[in-house]
Amino acid sequence: MCNTLEVVVEGIWRQGEGNLAVRLTAPDGATLPEWSPGAHIDVHLPGGLIRQYSLTGNPDSRKGYLICVARTPDSRGGSRYIHESLRPGQRLAISAPRNLFPLEKADKVVLMAAGIGITPLYAMVLRLEDAGIPFTLHYYVRRPELTAFRYQLAHPFRFGDCTIYHSSAGDSPRHFLPEALTRPVAGTRLYLCGPDGFMTHVRQAALAQGWAPENIHSEAFQPPALSAPAPSDGAFTVTLASTGQRWPVAADQTIARVLLDNGIDVPLSCEMGICGACLTPVTEGRVDHRDSVQSAAEKSGPRQQVALCCSRSLTDNLTIRLAP
Amino acid sequence: MKAHRPTPPAHCSFDPEDWLRLARCWHPVARACDVDSKPYKAVLLDEPLVLYRINGLAVAARDVCPHRGVPLTLGFHDEAGIICPYHGLRFGEEGRCNRIPASPDCPIPAKLNLMTFPVEERYGLIWTCLAPDADNPAPLPTMPHWHDAAFQQINCPPFEVNGFAGRQVEGFLDVAHFAWVHSATFADPDNPLVPDYSPQETDYGFTADYWSTVSNYPAGAEDRAPPGFRWLRRFEMHLPFTATLTVHFPGEDRLVIMNAASPVSARKTRMFAPIARNFDLHIPVGEVHAFNLRVFEEDRLMVETQRPEKLPLDLSLEAHIPADRSSIAYRRGLKKMGFGEFFLV
Repeated sequence: MCNTLEVVVEGIWRQGEGNLAVRLTAPDGATLPEWSPGAHIDVHLPGGLIRQYSLTGNPDSRKGYLICVARTPDSRGGSRYIHESLRPGQRLAISAPRNLFPLEKADKVVLMAAGIGITPLYAMVLRLEDAGIPFTLHYYVRRPELTAFRYQLAHPFRFGDCTIYHSSAGDSPRHFLPEALTRPVAGTRLYLCGPDGFMTHVRQAALAQGWAPENIHSEAFQPPALSAPAPSDGAFTVTLASTGQRWPVAADQTIARVLLDNGIDVPLSCEMGICGACLTPVTEGRVDHRDSVQSAAEKSGPRQQVALCCSRSLTDNLTIRLAP
Repeated sequence: MKAHRPTPPAHCSFDPEDWLRLARCWHPVARACDVDSKPYKAVLLDEPLVLYRINGLAVAARDVCPHRGVPLTLGFHDEAGIICPYHGLRFGEEGRCNRIPASPDCPIPAKLNLMTFPVEERYGLIWTCLAPDADNPAPLPTMPHWHDAAFQQINCPPFEVNGFAGRQVEGFLDVAHFAWVHSATFADPDNPLVPDYSPQETDYGFTADYWSTVSNYPAGAEDRAPPGFRWLRRFEMHLPFTATLTVHFPGEDRLVIMNAASPVSARKTRMFAPIARNFDLHIPVGEVHAFNLRVFEEDRLMVETQRPEKLPLDLSLEAHIPADRSSIAYRRGLKKMGFGEFFLV
């Protein structure tokens, strides 16, 4: 698989009720790519599942990555797999860290987490403490037992403090806002992570208190987009590996149309990228995947296939192995 | 269980390689409540089986007396086991022969023990696996809510379909046929539209969350749902032949139906349907059986007349529309398991 790293599950342990912390290291003990708080990795799980998890813990440690995964009752497989099947010693493929939620320059930082949303913010706490930037963390959980990193967060910090609220005790962000939020100060940034409802509520409340929108940062993971049509489709050529025949594919043509016009049989069925009947192996070139039948893992996997009815090419030429 | 090399039975209707792939999976063969100390007949993947209980434990074995090959399901039983009608040999715990009436003092050779298969009782069904793979054991399908406290457990009588299990299961996953086939039971003939949905691959197959306005209340009682209520139907497909459907009724009401299609042969299917529900508990179980039987009967004509009889895994052989995303995911999943051309007769 391209652009993935192989890691081994070094350890799994309970991090509050319903949460598991998972430490991933390089199999040969090598250092892993650098990351910064707010970064996440794609974790490739068996069965073609790819899930995004925020990195947490000490961002200076490159000996291993730490993620923390909540058990969700309506898991579509990722959380369930990690909670029920993942074992220490198991090897997994991950992506390099990407950061869509970085800490930006600030005089002071307010962090608000709900539930498992603590994971990126806990890494931010450690970085801010290290950098000597004043911070406050407000962390909401339903019940005390559900708290992740509770001992680490109970540790006194020189530059900030952490408060944990329990909605079971009536301390819900719906009922009151921390004082830090009610008086926005220039140079202070707010970082939110948690369920959609929580983030929407806090963001609206902060805006109502006069926070500048550019000082409010949040991240919600989105499932990978199924088919993202490019703003403008370019022309390219398609080559048959078997005969070497090559034809241009104009911006307004599909590969299938060009092949049919040249008397080549194409196994078409749905003609809209949903069924996969026309998936054909690619031997050269990079596919611009437009179909919604292949999984994200297949689209980024080593054995590339192109849906001739709708997909295009990112390279000038695409060579395909069409069965005779 | 006696170790043996799994081989397809005589007159097997499957391709031998595909038979072995299916034989490594768990399949239901009977309702647990239908099996007692009497020999009970079942057929799985063309293999005739005898099922019985001894001291409460279910045994599944090939339905053939190791002595002279007579089916044990023609025989009798007593408190110590099932008895072959030909020479009275008796088989008890774990299928072991425990009596040879013609030679009572003779030691009993191991060759006289029945060829047994592992048994699991789950969701009110007896499941077996003809060719367990010790290195890579197949998982048993799971069913949401079956074990939850507030839920009632119901098991419809098995339903025989003269069709291939793959076609039957695909019909269960199909969301575009409600308005055409099921308008007499629950669907609205004027609401044939299928909103888009997107199946998600899992380690056991896939799940699909299907949101629509098609009510799941019986025809005539649709107004029990608030106007404009959006129904969530969550399908979980456990390859190859077991799917569950969780219908999210208004409020916290849930109905779960497991469609466990047992492949009797390549052309015959025995469908089991455990049901779990946490509402309408006052409605007698007999009425639930009758309602589901009507729904299954509505599907019968379609599934039994589809051609080709088996399921074309080569997706270029049939036409597909966006409503078929689950059926496409199903065929791709089976293909990934290695099933081949046999799915096409």
